[in-house]
Amino acid sequence: MSNHSPGTDTVTYDDDIVKKFIFAALLFGGVAFLVGVIVALQLAYWQFNFDTSWLTFGRLRPLHTNAAIFAFAGNIVFAGIYHSTQRLLKARMFSRALSCIHFWGWQLIIVAAAISLPLGLTTGKEYAELEWPIDIAITLIWVVFAINFFGTLAKRRVQHIYVAIWFYIATIVTVAVLHIVNSLALPVSMMKSYPVFAGIQDALVQWWYGHNAVAFFLTTPFLGLMYYYLPKAVQRPVYSYRLSIIHFWALVFMYIWAGPHHLLNTALPDWAQTLGMIFSVALWAPSWGGMINGLLTLRGAWDKLRTEPVVKFFVAAVTAYGMSTFEGPLLSIKSVSSLGHYTDWIVGHVHVGTLGWNGFMAFGISYYLLPRIWKTQLYSKSMATAHFWVATVGIVLYYISMLSAGITQGLMWRNIDSAGRLVYPDFVETVTKIIPLYQVRVVGGTLFLIGFLIMIYNLFKTAQTAAKDATDETVQVAFKGLPGVEGETGHRKLEGLVTAFTVLTLIAILIGSVLEILPTLNLDKYVAPASKVHPFSPLEIAGRDIYIREGCYVCHSQMIRKMPSDVLRFGEPSTIGESMYDHPFQWGSKRTGPDLSRVGKKYPSLWHFRHMIDPRSISEHSVMPNYPWLASQKVDFYSLRKKLSVLKALGVPYSDDVLGRADVIAEEEARVIAEELKGQGVEGKIEDKDIIALIAYLQALGQKGIKE
Amino acid sequence: MGDSKNLGDHVIEGHDYDGIQELNNPLPAWWLGIFWATCLFGLAYYIYYELAGGPTLDEELQTAMSEIHAVKEEAQAANPTAAPKSDEELNALVSDPAALEKGAQVFQTNCVACHGAKGEGTIGPNLTDDYWIHKKGTMSDIVSLIKTGVPDKGMPPWEAAIAAEDIEKTAAFIVSLKGTNPPNAKAPQGEQVTE
Ligand code: HEC
Ligand code: HEC
Repeated sequence: MSNHSPGTDTVTYDDDIVKKFIFAALLFGGVAFLVGVIVALQLAYWQFNFDTSWLTFGRLRPLHTNAAIFAFAGNIVFAGIYHSTQRLLKARMFSRALSCIHFWGWQLIIVAAAISLPLGLTTGKEYAELEWPIDIAITLIWVVFAINFFGTLAKRRVQHIYVAIWFYIATIVTVAVLHIVNSLALPVSMMKSYPVFAGIQDALVQWWYGHNAVAFFLTTPFLGLMYYYLPKAVQRPVYSYRLSIIHFWALVFMYIWAGPHHLLNTALPDWAQTLGMIFSVALWAPSWGGMINGLLTLRGAWDKLRTEPVVKFFVAAVTAYGMSTFEGPLLSIKSVSSLGHYTDWIVGHVHVGTLGWNGFMAFGISYYLLPRIWKTQLYSKSMATAHFWVATVGIVLYYISMLSAGITQGLMWRNIDSAGRLVYPDFVETVTKIIPLYQVRVVGGTLFLIGFLIMIYNLFKTAQTAAKDATDETVQVAFKGLPGVEGETGHRKLEGLVTAFTVLTLIAILIGSVLEILPTLNLDKYVAPASKVHPFSPLEIAGRDIYIREGCYVCHSQMIRKMPSDVLRFGEPSTIGESMYDHPFQWGSKRTGPDLSRVGKKYPSLWHFRHMIDPRSISEHSVMPNYPWLASQKVDFYSLRKKLSVLKALGVPYSDDVLGRADVIAEEEARVIAEELKGQGVEGKIEDKDIIALIAYLQALGQKGIKE
Repeated sequence: MGDSKNLGDHVIEGHDYDGIQELNNPLPAWWLGIFWATCLFGLAYYIYYELAGGPTLDEELQTAMSEIHAVKEEAQAANPTAAPKSDEELNALVSDPAALEKGAQVFQTNCVACHGAKGEGTIGPNLTDDYWIHKKGTMSDIVSLIKTGVPDKGMPPWEAAIAAEDIEKTAAFIVSLKGTNPPNAKAPQGEQVTE
């Protein structure tokens, strides 16, 4: 960078990388929304599973969530961070090479996810399904991003960092910690691993991660983006600097504790549930601090809400943020969770955040940025306004239908008559009841997708009017070196000291993490000797891996909560001991089908055989997909020795004898089940098929207790 | 009021980030109110449940379950039709069209998956022949079998899910199926019972 006149630097921003990230976000956004509509269709009409392994709900739902979070939201966050950071720091990105590695590396990861998830290559941990080589790639690319970002901070031409940058720092630091800890696993093969944590540890770590993926991947970066683009779009000063200080630190410190609110009324020790609940409730105000600072920044510029589609999107996004951060604390109260958890209410809640807050922020930023980068005007404001309204109606339909579905089903589950019996003992009845609402959701999702396509057309037309010589923006910055923070005090001083700021952020997120997770690492303390269990047999392990591969856990829980309605329906509450060898845990987060923790021996094996191939031959109104390929695909007996030895290394007590003959034992187990089925009229060579292993696993659920 | 408003309406000197300026409005009182109220609630909640001996989840479940058991017993005591019926009373159901209709309905929802739409037997045994695995297939035999099931053999217990009177009606429906010779009937299982 050459100096024009003494004390003035010429800075050329890298806008090309911003453009690339936006294009990727829009491309993968389209994929995420389309797959979203498909999975919504599959729940309304099971036929849309197409009897095809890689198109079934259990495999596509993780694809949808990963595409939405990491591909769509991720890329727009990177676009916004690269664009705003350079301008807020008056510096070009640290390294063009790192920017490119970051961009292409991230897109490769997404492609790897898009291939591996439909193939059933998954860890089975929600929002962290990608297998270990991809996890390592994510870590490396995140480090590249971090170096690039902090490198830019190091060569900044402004002393103090703006609140947007605070949020970016929190994002980068925390996501790294979350991703690394939650992905710790021992590989079995190139695309198969078992997480090091099991049972309640894994549950706690997974939802510490899962909730904070929402917090630090979908909230803090977007708050940072809001603090830059909203004041820019309305050209008004930010409402309150002190509010930003308070709500930033409160959010960063408190969010990390909130994970256990996904595990309320379960076997998780009471104290952890209580901490998760009270911190979630107390997060209401800190979250709303962000909303207030966003909305009140519009004071004196409300007329722009009428005329500017970009402002419409931002304001609706911030409002959606306010709604979901009110509903979140509400749902974290144990008694409310006992109604809402495992139902579609949670799905509705999440989508106000993702479609409303993340989606609308992303759309607003795209409409704002692309015309500026192309040095032109948006092709059609009225088309953008149409997008806004179509998408808004879509979100409203989505949310209302899922809220009603969730509450309806939740109430049906817990309805106990005056004779002390469940009023709806047949689970399917509670599903059939809400199918019409699933259909409404399809309409809502489709509207959102249509709105998105309107935007793509609008942006495409805008691109055609782009200035031919639209080069990177160049500015002159008066700069004679950073002035330093001498004489400053308090938070202002901290804003000039990036390293100290980053370290403090790290400490803030580590306190809650350590205090919550550490005590459960000593599992023995919590497992009553009476509730200890035998580990799964070799064939059952093979079946369990099929259960994970097919994504059965996205519809089935294995956790009977400490609630009368759960106990009456499914049996005694699940204990900590029962899942102590579960790498990963299978408590689930949604009950589209019934809980399976006690399904073992409930039905004859023939029942399962028929039910897996065609659930509707057993349960007429089921929405569960058909799994015909399980009856033709062969069990991988060969890898069982390796699998069991990895599990043993993680603490599952297998004897050397079992390890050495795992495949032989499994084949023998399979033969016994196959013989029984053949005796009942099943034909063909079935003793080496996946379905036998899966049946073995299902029949073992709830049957592993050690009887004195 | 006027003062604090002025304070907010002046942008803070030196805070200019790529043209973005900052006001310094005070924290809204209602916002602070929510903040402290939720923090205090959390503290009180924690102290009560974790330190002061408030009920644990297990204890709360126990209380709720014993309430349900009490309700159950009360209902049984208050409703004499739920008390065990004599054999004559039970057998009378087989010729009561309303009872058979209700029984058929229960059978459709809960039993066809394993016993076939016409009771011909698929996963579970044929219920239309005169062979019985368990006892002799009398009304009271069938009622008690449906209630307790044969969990080890894949016949679920239905006591918790289906009301006692409806179980009786289902049993009556099964008895009424005898000799219907549905198509695709499963081969007999158990012992032949001749009257
Ligand atoms: C789209 C959601 C969905 C998916 C995916 C799904 N199920 Fe189901 N499942 C259901 C529903 C709904 C029911 C209840 C109706 C029925 O019995 O089919 C059910 C019932 C069951 C039952 C009977 C439970 C009982 O107590 O009656 C078993 C066992 C089962 N599923 C196993 C599986 C397995 C194994 C997989 C993965 C290969 C799987 N399910 C995938 C929705 C699903
Ligand atoms: C999951 C499958 C399944 C379902 C559902 C089921 N049964 Fe059964 N049932 C069986 C099996 C298997 C047996 C045989 C048990 C044995 O071998 O001891 C059986 C046995 C019976 C018998 C005794 C038959 C004999 O020969 O002794 C009766 C009566 C019966 N069932 C009635 C019912 C009724 C009524 C329902 C519905 C409320 C029902 N079953 C639902 C699987 C089922």
